[in-house]
Amino acid sequence: MKIYLISLFTFLIYAGSASSQIINKKQLSVRQTGYRIDAKLDPVTKTISANMEAFWVNMSADVVPDIQLHLYMNAFRNSRTTMNVESGGSSDKKQSETGWINIKSFSDRDGNDMIANMNFISPDDGNDNDHTVLKVKLSEPAVPGDTVFIKVVFETKLPLITRRTGYSDDFFFVAQWFPKFGVYEPAGMRYATKGGWNCHQFHANSEFYSNHSLYNVTITLPVEYVVGTGGVLMNETSPDSTGRNKTLTYRAEDIVDFAWTAWPGYKVFTDQWENVKISLLLPNDRIEQVGRQFTAVKYALEYFAKNVGPYPWPYLTIVDPPSKGARSGGMEYTTLFTSSSSYMMPEFAHYPEMVTIHEFGHAYFMGILASNEFEEPWMDEGINSFWEERIVDHYYGENSGLINHPFLKVSDEALARLSYVHSGARQDVTNKEYSWNYPHGTYGMMSYDKTATVLYTLMGIIGEETTNEVFRAYYKKWAFKYPSGKDFIDIVNEVVTKRWGDKFGPDLNWFFDQTLYGTGICDYKVANILNSRIDTTGVEISGAHTIKKDPKTNEIRFKSEVQLERAGEVMLPVEVLVHFKNGKEVMESWDGKSRIKDFVYTGENEIEWVKIDPDFKITMDVNYVNNSMTLYPDRIPVRRLTNKLISFMQFFMNFFFL
Amino acid sequence: MKILNSLKTGMLRSMKLWKGILITWFCSFLLVSIVAIPMKSALNAGFGNSMITEKLSKGINIEVFADLGDSLKNLISYFSGGLFMILLVGFLLNCFLSGGLFSSLKGISGTFSSSKFFIASVKNFRSFFFISLLISLIILSLAIIIVVFPVIIASHSESSPDGSGFRTAILVTSFFVPVLALVLLAADYGRAWQVAHDKNNCFKAIGFGFVQTFRTFFSSYPLMIILLLAQVMFGWLVLEILPGFRPVNEAGIIFLFLLSQMLFFIKILLKTWRYGSVTKMMELDIAEKINNTQA
Ligand SMILES: [Zn+2]
Repeated sequence: MKIYLISLFTFLIYAGSASSQIINKKQLSVRQTGYRIDAKLDPVTKTISANMEAFWVNMSADVVPDIQLHLYMNAFRNSRTTMNVESGGSSDKKQSETGWINIKSFSDRDGNDMIANMNFISPDDGNDNDHTVLKVKLSEPAVPGDTVFIKVVFETKLPLITRRTGYSDDFFFVAQWFPKFGVYEPAGMRYATKGGWNCHQFHANSEFYSNHSLYNVTITLPVEYVVGTGGVLMNETSPDSTGRNKTLTYRAEDIVDFAWTAWPGYKVFTDQWENVKISLLLPNDRIEQVGRQFTAVKYALEYFAKNVGPYPWPYLTIVDPPSKGARSGGMEYTTLFTSSSSYMMPEFAHYPEMVTIHEFGHAYFMGILASNEFEEPWMDEGINSFWEERIVDHYYGENSGLINHPFLKVSDEALARLSYVHSGARQDVTNKEYSWNYPHGTYGMMSYDKTATVLYTLMGIIGEETTNEVFRAYYKKWAFKYPSGKDFIDIVNEVVTKRWGDKFGPDLNWFFDQTLYGTGICDYKVANILNSRIDTTGVEISGAHTIKKDPKTNEIRFKSEVQLERAGEVMLPVEVLVHFKNGKEVMESWDGKSRIKDFVYTGENEIEWVKIDPDFKITMDVNYVNNSMTLYPDRIPVRRLTNKLISFMQFFMNFFFL
Repeated sequence: MKILNSLKTGMLRSMKLWKGILITWFCSFLLVSIVAIPMKSALNAGFGNSMITEKLSKGINIEVFADLGDSLKNLISYFSGGLFMILLVGFLLNCFLSGGLFSSLKGISGTFSSSKFFIASVKNFRSFFFISLLISLIILSLAIIIVVFPVIIASHSESSPDGSGFRTAILVTSFFVPVLALVLLAADYGRAWQVAHDKNNCFKAIGFGFVQTFRTFFSSYPLMIILLLAQVMFGWLVLEILPGFRPVNEAGIIFLFLLSQMLFFIKILLKTWRYGSVTKMMELDIAEKINNTQA
């Protein structure tokens, strides 16, 4: 009874704070879920003992009989979990390297023990050995408007760092570490036709899906640890009576996940962009990269704010893990993300900047626009890669965003394009797959690289400003909600028709059906250039090698022709630039639908060269080499290259021989 | 004084040997052309009449090459095969030609004659081959022991701080280079000794090389360091000039060709200077020994 009273008391206070504003001026999301967690890290046993109180509000019109929670850490329990089976059936690890989460007690608002109501389910693959989804039958079904409170005591054993979570020596990156509600999707939300929990198991290729939540988290750990979290530090106690531990209290509002890191070796730096306070945690060895990291994230903040929408939190934490924790690098938790770098990272390689910009971008595509990463991974990884590439190339050089060295320049966009267009599996699957269903290791290529390339192509067709308008509209309508792919495409259709009328047809579904949701490739090529002399009546004069003037009109007339082909299945509108020998140029438009297309000209001029898509807007085109043809190919670049190759080999020999 | 004398004489004799250097240059050019010229044709065929090569105006563009598709794969395998062939044939060629060079650098060799050059190349080939092979193996083993192992160990230890692999690499390399200079000295002394003796005896030559290196350490070692520094600085200069130079017209291409080959000629000259200086140093030392015994 006493317990009951205390619980009720804390729950009431907690419920009250659920809508209170501490960090942001106004509430950003509806906060359907919230968590208060008191966690204690034991760095020796690599475990976290925690008490958690959490709520879920039934905002649907359904009577919901149960709740479903992710217990992600159980994916690392043994070799038979879905995660480990999908990763190639790794053999059993040492006990110290496994990870798991054990529920020690589970009670409801009234203090009723609910352990007996718990059972593990495997909605995706029926694997009984997978304990990453917990279903708990409620004592009483939740009617519309009900708030379900739970109180859980749990222990999480961290794995040796894997899938971006775990420990390595005295380094800790703690993610997916607490029991977390799935998303209840009522009929009409995304693709749901009837209400139900969307709570997938933890797969090898998959990320997450959660409601925007409120987090109040206390972390107790040894005093020497430097901590970074996705929240704001509200309080820090001085060391306890033993002098060994300290307790840090954090709060985060409207984020979809709460992760934290602890390592005694972090150095902390801070900077400011407009009203956003940026903290950076990194190892001592990378202090010379502090400026690079801040500059990169400020570029991203600026670009997103200008072209998509505001970054609504007043803080941001960047973690650049030390090399022993490198496997936690490159991951996003909205207000905290991990970059990836190394000691002595050369200035010309913008790899850390790229990772920072990418992971920051997830604050938008996943954090604010909380798509379902399990089911439509292209919506976060692909859209975000598109923006990452735009930002990296915009600020670090259109041709040299990723690598800017006198010997080699590589743009971020080019690398993604090549990964897709030269993948042997580029036609194996569409982007209509759940993330773990992509076959033959195509998950990354499809969800990141092909999607980004598709979006670049879309931008090539509808224009950069319209593309930005699309994303502004997407943000405006779907921020702090749960958009599906269809919702995104609806926005594209809406904005494009508003801006361009029916220039591209009644909608752009034809585009997405062929590209994002299709397996065809796009390949336009120039087949031939033909110039022939004609007489005044337009009849070809054949076999004449020396061109004579027409005696009647005293001018030479030609029939000039470019022959184009569509070698791939994908049909996209393309521009064709035809250049004549006298310098005259004609820009033609081709709807790209027919298999072959000829442009024929008669007059005093011969065609010298032709380029399909001269500005390389159709980045999906799998072969740029065949996009152009000239009668007078420039051999200088190849000769220059051969020359340098000869020198390279000569010096190479001379260097190695005594 | 001995050092300056050796450097000066070494340089003078190398310059006089310009025809020998020219032969060396020509052979190397021929060898790499065997690989480079077909690659050029293959690239031209791959690009065909495309204008994509415009994208190469700002340097290597990976998209241009990647989009060559299968032709690129063939090119890469051809190039790696070619490079291997160059290493193999080049090694033999170097053993052969350095015999002629060393022989022509002797104090008593008189005016250059290409027949004498080639006769010496043939005569010393067997010994030079084994000297080069053994010394190369010694260098390789030292590199593995001094550089590779420590770096692997440093970068794979769990608890070591960030960048320890890199720092170890710098540390051990700075230890390896001075050792390398010693081994090169032994190789040069060995070869200088060999060309001064009729009988092919590579082991005796290497033995002499090492003994001479340590016996005359205080004059030989600084000499070698100076010569190596000159080569390194020249190498740096070449890296500054060549890669960034991107001519766009016929005249520019011809200029690039002449410039790059001239630079490589100088590179051979610098190496010959090393051979000549060490040869002179050996001669000075022997003369000194004879003087001492007479006194
Ligand atoms: Zn990502």
